[in-house]
Amino acid sequence: MNKIQNAEQPFLTLQHLEKVYPNGEKAVYDFNLDVKKKEFIVIVGPSGCGKSTTLRMIAGLEDITSGDIFLEGELLNYRPSKDRKMAIVFQSYALYPQMNVFDNIAFPLTINTYPAPVTDKELYPLGELRSVLNDTAPEALFNILSSAFAARLKKKALSEKLATAFRISPEAAAVLAEMYRQYAAGEQQKSDARQESARQAPDADKAETVKQWLAVTNEKIAALTARLEEEGVRVNERFEILDENGKVKTEYRKFTPYEIRTRVYDTAAILDLKPYLDKLPKELSGGQMQRVALGRAIIKNVPIFMMDEPLSNLDAKLRLTMRSEIVKLHNRIDATTIYVTHDQTEAMTMATRIVVMSRGFIQQIGTPEEVYSSPANVFVARFIGSPTMNIFDAQFDRATGELSFGGIKVALGREFTARHDAFYRRKAEELRGLLEGFDSAAREKILKLLSATGESSAEASSSARKSGLRARIKSMLGKRKEAEGPAPEEQVCRTKLERLEECLSDNHTVTVGIRPERIGIEKKRSVRKSAGTFTVKPTVCELLGGEYNVHFDFCGKDMVGRFDARHKISAADEITVSFSPEDLYLFDPITGDVIE
Amino acid sequence: MTTEKRRRTKSERTRLREKTVSFIVLFIICFVWVLPLVYMLGTSFKSELDLQLHPDKLFPSAWSEWTLEHYFGFIVREGKIDNMPLWMLNSLWSTFATVILTVIVDLLTAYAVVFLNFKGKHTFMKFLLLWMAVPGVIGTAPSFALYSQIRNSLSISSGIAGYAYVYTWLIVPGITGIFNMLLMRNFFLSIPKDIVDSAKSDGASNMKIFRRVVCPLAKSTIMLVVLFTFTGSWNSLIWPQLLLTGENSYWNTITVALTGYTGGSGWGATGVAMATSVFALIPIVIVFVVTQNKMIDGLASTGIKA
Repeated sequence: MNKIQNAEQPFLTLQHLEKVYPNGEKAVYDFNLDVKKKEFIVIVGPSGCGKSTTLRMIAGLEDITSGDIFLEGELLNYRPSKDRKMAIVFQSYALYPQMNVFDNIAFPLTINTYPAPVTDKELYPLGELRSVLNDTAPEALFNILSSAFAARLKKKALSEKLATAFRISPEAAAVLAEMYRQYAAGEQQKSDARQESARQAPDADKAETVKQWLAVTNEKIAALTARLEEEGVRVNERFEILDENGKVKTEYRKFTPYEIRTRVYDTAAILDLKPYLDKLPKELSGGQMQRVALGRAIIKNVPIFMMDEPLSNLDAKLRLTMRSEIVKLHNRIDATTIYVTHDQTEAMTMATRIVVMSRGFIQQIGTPEEVYSSPANVFVARFIGSPTMNIFDAQFDRATGELSFGGIKVALGREFTARHDAFYRRKAEELRGLLEGFDSAAREKILKLLSATGESSAEASSSARKSGLRARIKSMLGKRKEAEGPAPEEQVCRTKLERLEECLSDNHTVTVGIRPERIGIEKKRSVRKSAGTFTVKPTVCELLGGEYNVHFDFCGKDMVGRFDARHKISAADEITVSFSPEDLYLFDPITGDVIE
Repeated sequence: MTTEKRRRTKSERTRLREKTVSFIVLFIICFVWVLPLVYMLGTSFKSELDLQLHPDKLFPSAWSEWTLEHYFGFIVREGKIDNMPLWMLNSLWSTFATVILTVIVDLLTAYAVVFLNFKGKHTFMKFLLLWMAVPGVIGTAPSFALYSQIRNSLSISSGIAGYAYVYTWLIVPGITGIFNMLLMRNFFLSIPKDIVDSAKSDGASNMKIFRRVVCPLAKSTIMLVVLFTFTGSWNSLIWPQLLLTGENSYWNTITVALTGYTGGSGWGATGVAMATSVFALIPIVIVFVVTQNKMIDGLASTGIKA
């Protein structure tokens, strides 16, 4: 194993992860991500952007074409998924249909070995017994015991039942049962001797008996500990065997049925699944199935949780509750979670960091605030936020440094023009660099650029090279000419470069974005028109309860703004719309990046 | 039932018409199929006299003509222990062996083809499909040549070794049916991949996934395969006949033995022949009754419409 020791080591590292499917389609390009412990990472993007593929690569369900995955500095690439210490929850829940809820949750425990403390076979049950005798009230103890004995079970079933009732191991329960049996026989004799009523022993008597038992147990414990000490074995107060360093010795072993049961019950209690343990998955509702799937993940007690759109199959209301449940769970068990979704709301509400993907490329990685308030490019701006950001074109006048759209002029200032120039110079430089010796890396850069702007997918897709045998033969036979011409991406690169260079010297359009809640909307009161505002009629007013989403046409585009629902508004009203320049996001339409 | 008389809607009328037509067609088919069986059953109870006088009747002509005498001869006939129980046993154990081996082999093959990635997987599948297109009879002659060559070279004559050798050759070729494997594969394809993936990430090895997840799910398909293989193996005639002709008559399977009654050199005992046939059918009926319920599920889940 390739182990790197480093204190600053991130928990999970993904380096240059790439995936090419056998049909030659590239699903994930150069995925780099460092995940810290206890982070809740949400990978979000439209369907088909490679987010699930990335997750499946991390989980080991999909082969990695290139790149590395490190977990705590340990290379995971060639580990089979069963040894990766990860739990994954699928959108379809993937419960085993033939097993009931208990078996579903217990499944990972029944097939794997887990580290468990080494205990002495005789001593440990006695320790459990002692704590039961100490902690349980004699009255309750006797009630449980007598009712268990009344059922006239076989010895094994009896100790199982007692074990469940007292939450101790069957071995301890067997000892307890044996003690009770002797006691009951004694009582029987006594009452036979007296030959009359008082079958029921008085409470004081019971407490006395328990004390007696306790004494016997303690005696045995003392004897066993002494014997173990003679053998040179040390134990702690919970009777787990210690190693030379005084630490609890652990071994990898399969859990006993008793251990599995307690763990499943604990997990079920966390997820409120206790009443459903006997049911089959098909008898459960979607939310319950989801919880079972979560239970199966958390019972493994692994450091990393992965969830692949776990809430997509739930109805809207349940999704909300499960969303907070999952976050709570994440916090409670201190897990590191990687969560894949196409729903930006889930991403915003759950994540500590969001990874926005499109067409196999990472567009931006950042906290929800960062991604929302400073999107790196048009794609992120459009994708994050609901309702989506209003995006429209505006004319940028280089000479005056003014932005004009729909009859409004916004002055951006000298300083912006300088930044603008620097930005375009930098971008042009980048593309020029790519054009010198246009190779596959450059091609990927262009593809990434296209994925941000979301344009000319037809152009890009027509160039997706097939590596199948037939395609290769075809290209060898007939299409040689086409192959010799410049790749379409190179063409794209060239035109982009030309346009960028034009932008440096001339007026040009920029893409402007503004968040709906930043649009100032007022009901029109006076005819007076102040600068920087305009008056329109809304097309649709959607009441959300607390506020309206007001749609209106502007520059031929549908725009959305927010309006407080304390005042009524309808499509018949006229509204005054205003923007403030600092709320505008300016994107370069050529590369899609934010101008900065 | 509604008391008011109502004109049926068009779709109802169409459905009724369809139902009637399909009922009639099915009835005719059933009748044609069942008739020989009924005749077999009836004739097996006819007395010797009735067999001679009323071969045209389905059942004995009078209550007094009902008899069980043809069945009595199975165990002891003319003071000697009859071969019938032996033939039955031969058929039974070889069929059970075939069924068990087939199920195991088919399950393993289908699992490999569906859930494992190995080089040449698709070629392998295509080869198997191609093999299905080859009529079974074509393999008979080369198989027999192989059988006899090996037998000669190993100089296995008779006795226990011969018996074991012959029955190995009866059983092993029987387990290579592609059709059952395809049934299995179709079913496995219908298992959501997520289930297998999640079992993998739960830490299960392929063997564990196979045993704990996939096989329990495939119960009904297994039943289907059991039924198919059982009937196929129980009824198989040509190959066993080829191998068993000229061997010790104790080695015969029930089907091969049955041909003794129908062939030109038949023993002329129609009643016994019918009784034997009824007897030979019993295991099939039992297996059908046992698997029938599950089988319907199996048919539904493998995408095959009966």
